[in-house]
Amino acid sequence: MESNIALRAERIVKYFYEPEKFQVLKGLSFEVEKGEFLTLTGKSGSGKSTLLYVLSTMDTDYEGRLELNGETLTGRTQNQLAAFRNEHIGFVFQFHYLLPDFTVLDNVMLPALKINKKSRAEIEAKAYQNLQLLGLEAQARKLASRLSGGQQQRVAIARALINDPAVIMGDEPTGNLDSKNTQNVFDIFRELAHERGQTIIAVTHDEDFARNSDRVIDMSDGLIV
Amino acid sequence: MQTTNFSIARVHLTTNLRQTVVALLGVVFGISMYIFMNSFMAGVNDTQTALAFTSLAHVRIYNDGPADGTNLVSRAYPAATIAHIRNPRVLPYATGIGKAAALQALVRAQPEVVAVTPQVNLNVFFRNGSTQLNGTLSGVDIANENKLFGISKYMTAGTWARLRYRPDGIILGTDLAHDLGVQVGDNINILTSDGISRRYTLLGLFQTNVKQVDKGKAYLNINAARQLLAQHPQYVTDLQVNVRHYEQTAPLVQRIAPVIPYKVESWQLANQQLEAGAQLRNIIALAVSLTILLVAGFGIYNIMNMTINERIREIAILKAMGFSGGDVTQIFVTQALVIGLVGGLLGMGVGYGVARIVNVIPFNIAGLQTLPMTYYPRNYLLAFGFGVLTTLIAGYLPARKAAKIDPVAILRG
Ligand SMILES: Nc1ncnc2c1ncn2[C@@H]1O[C@H](COP(=O)(O)OP(=O)(O)OP(=O)(O)O)[C@@H](O)[C@H]1O
Ligand SMILES: [Mg+2]
Repeated sequence: MESNIALRAERIVKYFYEPEKFQVLKGLSFEVEKGEFLTLTGKSGSGKSTLLYVLSTMDTDYEGRLELNGETLTGRTQNQLAAFRNEHIGFVFQFHYLLPDFTVLDNVMLPALKINKKSRAEIEAKAYQNLQLLGLEAQARKLASRLSGGQQQRVAIARALINDPAVIMGDEPTGNLDSKNTQNVFDIFRELAHERGQTIIAVTHDEDFARNSDRVIDMSDGLIV
Repeated sequence: MQTTNFSIARVHLTTNLRQTVVALLGVVFGISMYIFMNSFMAGVNDTQTALAFTSLAHVRIYNDGPADGTNLVSRAYPAATIAHIRNPRVLPYATGIGKAAALQALVRAQPEVVAVTPQVNLNVFFRNGSTQLNGTLSGVDIANENKLFGISKYMTAGTWARLRYRPDGIILGTDLAHDLGVQVGDNINILTSDGISRRYTLLGLFQTNVKQVDKGKAYLNINAARQLLAQHPQYVTDLQVNVRHYEQTAPLVQRIAPVIPYKVESWQLANQQLEAGAQLRNIIALAVSLTILLVAGFGIYNIMNMTINERIREIAILKAMGFSGGDVTQIFVTQALVIGLVGGLLGMGVGYGVARIVNVIPFNIAGLQTLPMTYYPRNYLLAFGFGVLTTLIAGYLPARKAAKIDPVAILRG
């Protein structure tokens, strides 16, 4: 049972202090199983992005306890967390952040080059494969800054998958995509979860997307409804 | 991992080529100016030294007369003794250096000594008709004198060697000869302080470009000078000594001064203004060149800061993907280092070029034809070292700041 849990959040509380003290997350607790495709919904401003930053280990300024793959991550140093993220977490931002001066291929390869566990050729092959999956193989040699918003978002997804992370988190990963591409991304996520046992946590405003996922967590004012 | 950081640094440097070039130019300017300033100052110092040593030996040994004898009573009686002394006088004492030949052999045997020459120096009046000028007359050992001071190089008329076989010959500074209105072959009358007067034939003229020397010095064969003073054939007033490295006179002075009953004086002590001038020029050169490097350093610091501010989102993305603070520091320090190394190499080339150009600018004073310049590898290496160090520091400070960026704060917007 224990080994089947990919992510465990216990009483997560988060405050913002600017412009005044304000509780965004009000003691959230939940578990996500390995191979589960979870979506987070809720109206704008309910705290979804804030929660995802905490879950992704990037934000360490919170109360409560966070556990991923059976490892407690609360209280670790920034550099330890960076190494952990590199290996175990793939992240797609709400605003598709790529490195503009690098090619699409380089952007996708970078997390794998950083972890340095495979040869360059293997990494490049894998990056091509991911781009193909998202219909971007023709753009591989272009500079990332020359792509359209939707294309950039798909590159970000391809990048998030490169290290075969245990958990893939996406903050509205299909926010800029047309219905055909949204469906494609949905299929990819479901396949990763069900065939390969990778855990997906995606924030979405797309009701169809949410309804078709394994489980939906609906948030309102920093609480799970 | 490291190669990944390097390739990120490379992309940063090549995409912002204009900034890279500006930073590079700053380093090139700083390093080339450092090289130029120091090479030029060293050239000035070397010229000054060469001029000074045309008439100045590195160490001079001479008899500086009896010690202070105004109150001899105090040496024999308690301090409280009241002494009343009137019109004290020094009775004749031995002038010059006794046993000069043995002393010369002793000094010559010292490892750092390259040449020693004995001199008989006296103050005289040079007279031609009613013109009467005072100056120094040096009775010299022709061959050794030339070894120390290279005086034959400065001859403008006649030859130095002729003095050896002409006890009636004299060689004058050009200005002195001009002031006396004499030419080679003419006769000059010499009057000593003891009232002895003798006539010599002008054999040649020299010009060292040190005015004081050219206007007030004459050379005689040492034996002729002894005769003029009616002294014995071993009589010597000064022993002039040259050592291998002119800066390093202290060890020799410390070694021989205690065993010689005469004054042993280094050129630094006798001419502190020369030493002070050289040191001050070195300090100015160092201060100016370090200031230039510092300004170049500030330039790089600014540009690195700008780059990091422009790329703050990229840094946040890199950290979100798992790059550590150390990786970020490495990425930006690498950029600074590349700028420092490339700028350093170019700067050495440009510095050499500037030195070459300044070295041909005409400058016709004191026997120079062009501005003096040196090409010491030491200056180039120091400039390169300081330059790279400056860029490293200027790059490290903003890079450390970049390493501390909190990715969430940036990415949340
Ligand atoms: N840096 C911040 N400082 C202060 N308050 C913030 C900050 N970031 C977000 N907030 C506030 O926290 C609340 C939750 O924001 P969050 O971005 O998590 O919402 P969200 O659910 O992701 O909304 P959306 O669906 O529009 O993306 C909002 O009220 C927002 O104003
Ligand atoms: Mg959001």
